[in-house]
Amino acid sequence: MTVTSLPAKAPAAGAPAGPTRPRRRRRLGYERRRAAWLMLTPALIHLTWWIGIPVLATFVLAFTHYDVLAGTITWAGLDNFTEIFADETWNTSILHTVVYTFFTVPVAMALAVVIAVLLNAKMRARAWYRAAFFLPHITATVAIALVWMWMFEPNIGLFNAVLAMFGVNGPAWLSDPAFAMAAVIVVSVWKGVGLKMLIYLAALQSIPPETYEAADLDGASGPRRFWSITLPLLKPATFFVFVVSMIDAFQVFDQVYVLTPDGGPANATTVMTFEIYRTAFSEFRISTACAQSLVLFAFLLVLTVISRRLTGKDDDAR
Amino acid sequence: MPRKASLHMASQTTAVTRRTVLSAAFGLGVAAAAGCGGPAPSSSTDTGEASGAIRLLTPIFEGAEGQKTLEGLLATFKQKYPKVTVEVDYTTYAKLNEKLTTSIAGGRPYDVMLMGVGWIPPFAAKGVLADLGENADALTSRFNKRVVDPGVYQGKVYALPIMLDTRFGIYRKDIFAEAGLSAAPKNFDELRDMGRKLTKREGGKLVRAGVDILSNDLRQTFLPLMWANGGELFTPDGKVAFNSPASVAALQLMTDIIVTDKTEDFGYTQPGAATGIPLVQGRAAMMVGHNNVWLEIEKNAPDLVKDSKIGFFPIANTRAAMFQGGTLGTVAAKSQHPAAAKALVQFLADSDAALAACRQRGNVPALKALESSEYVKANPSVQFAMGNLDSAFSEGGVPAWLEIRGDFKAAIESALLGKKSPQQALDELAAKATQVMARS
Repeated sequence: MTVTSLPAKAPAAGAPAGPTRPRRRRRLGYERRRAAWLMLTPALIHLTWWIGIPVLATFVLAFTHYDVLAGTITWAGLDNFTEIFADETWNTSILHTVVYTFFTVPVAMALAVVIAVLLNAKMRARAWYRAAFFLPHITATVAIALVWMWMFEPNIGLFNAVLAMFGVNGPAWLSDPAFAMAAVIVVSVWKGVGLKMLIYLAALQSIPPETYEAADLDGASGPRRFWSITLPLLKPATFFVFVVSMIDAFQVFDQVYVLTPDGGPANATTVMTFEIYRTAFSEFRISTACAQSLVLFAFLLVLTVISRRLTGKDDDAR
Repeated sequence: MPRKASLHMASQTTAVTRRTVLSAAFGLGVAAAAGCGGPAPSSSTDTGEASGAIRLLTPIFEGAEGQKTLEGLLATFKQKYPKVTVEVDYTTYAKLNEKLTTSIAGGRPYDVMLMGVGWIPPFAAKGVLADLGENADALTSRFNKRVVDPGVYQGKVYALPIMLDTRFGIYRKDIFAEAGLSAAPKNFDELRDMGRKLTKREGGKLVRAGVDILSNDLRQTFLPLMWANGGELFTPDGKVAFNSPASVAALQLMTDIIVTDKTEDFGYTQPGAATGIPLVQGRAAMMVGHNNVWLEIEKNAPDLVKDSKIGFFPIANTRAAMFQGGTLGTVAAKSQHPAAAKALVQFLADSDAALAACRQRGNVPALKALESSEYVKANPSVQFAMGNLDSAFSEGGVPAWLEIRGDFKAAIESALLGKKSPQQALDELAAKATQVMARS
């Protein structure tokens, strides 16, 4: 960055000259800065205590052998990282997280765009429909998971009852490793589509109506308007939704924990956050869990940097 | 980007960062503990006058009914020890370790912790638990020896037993009679034969499992089968033994039931299924189950009790075996009020409290004096368990057990699903366990 020094500004003609004014300005600046620091102090203490120290502790502990029960701690170097990458369950959990993200994010985004476009059109009870689609996002996962568990139940559940009408023997959705992750993804898509829809809706409403009017005059059909106007103009929102959803997907925990306790059949739904939880709180391996947290942090950092780059570029363009 | 969305992005990014770092927030407590921690004292508990405010962590006394039971008991305790105040933290066995970890890492462990059988060696070895100063031999005059041993580590008593829980074979006499069978299976071959005969399918769909091995926790189903076949978890000198030929044969039996005989389909049921226990509903002819299945039978199928349609059998092949766990009371080595904490443990292990706890959970009393109680007389499942304690086996025994036990489920499932052979599944598990034990 280049810094240019500006010449000292001469007093304006007719303005009272003398030492009083600059001193008052300096004093005012000092007081304002002091007030700002005073007001910031509680937030800074809060951030340091609840975020700064835990982050620092996690980084440090990841390189130690910390025995939480005995209260002993020794330097471990990279042992914990070597250990986790030799652990089949952890490596599988990374794969499952990627699979979960791969299927959750694009599917939910596609659905969200379609729903947002439909709910942007004029129709009766539009507000009710919007609220209905947003409702899963603000509903407690534990509560809705119980309903989904009933629907997935192999003997009396809704899905298998519907399949039985067509003569199909439905699977044990949450107990069969071939279907457990799919079931979790379905619930996650259902839960996540509302927020994405809301963001798309906001973006749709910012598209100037004149653009569509011009397209109408040119005789563009509905699909053509969607592909040539709506979708390109939704690009900034799409970038945003995509990156935030990716980060969110990497942190999935509650749906997995409630629907498939113990990480699912044969660890079929064990994702990174669940494995971190299990390592720390079931196996008392705090240092290993810290190392796993750092790996997850690295994934999220990369995604955040990508997000900054993509959205930053977009902001510059505008 | 629209301004609204841009603002939202900013807040989301902040939230993500915060959530990311908060996922590691437990490190704060950990760091604090690391700074001021150290091996806990292992001295005997002070037995002076009991006083002070103590905290109790309990994985039993669940739900509103359990809470009501414990509150009643603590009111009695308060009358006996007016200077002691007890603050209770209710949890479940599934969440017990989470509570223990955070309390210990935070430098403020619960004064009294109720734990399972496998928990004592790991916690005693790390100095978390206080030596209760009891004599193990003397305790066996009051308690069954089977339940005293799990509370003893390196000759010292760290826990007093409150109740036992067991897993064994349970069968429907009426379904057996319909199939022309008059007695429960006495070995693995009979178990498979009867299972095949009792299985019922309609249009390819399983409507009655011949043998239900999935309603119970998979590890706790596998272990009694392993013991019944002569296998052991660990050798006397603490080496992994659960991949021995006898153990592999036990897992092979489970695999055969699912894969070869198809007497139960994987996913047919699971522990704690919302639809209830298949045996109680007639959707299974026999099962490996918990003794408290009786409570569900009494509640949901009283006719089965009335008509004596339920029978019990020990899992047997080369020997009879029954899985035996239990709940024990311990005192934290760092308790500020060890006398009060020990008084509470003794109170909870005593007859009135133990009986109330057993009645609430349908479990087996640890006190010999309760063998003749009305509760035991009225509960055939508990009577069967008490009558077969000679063939009971318990899991755990090594300090690394809590790290190892969680891996059994995935290993067993991989065999049941045909992803790995029983030998391969147990060999891999054994290798991992050996590694964990070496590290510990």
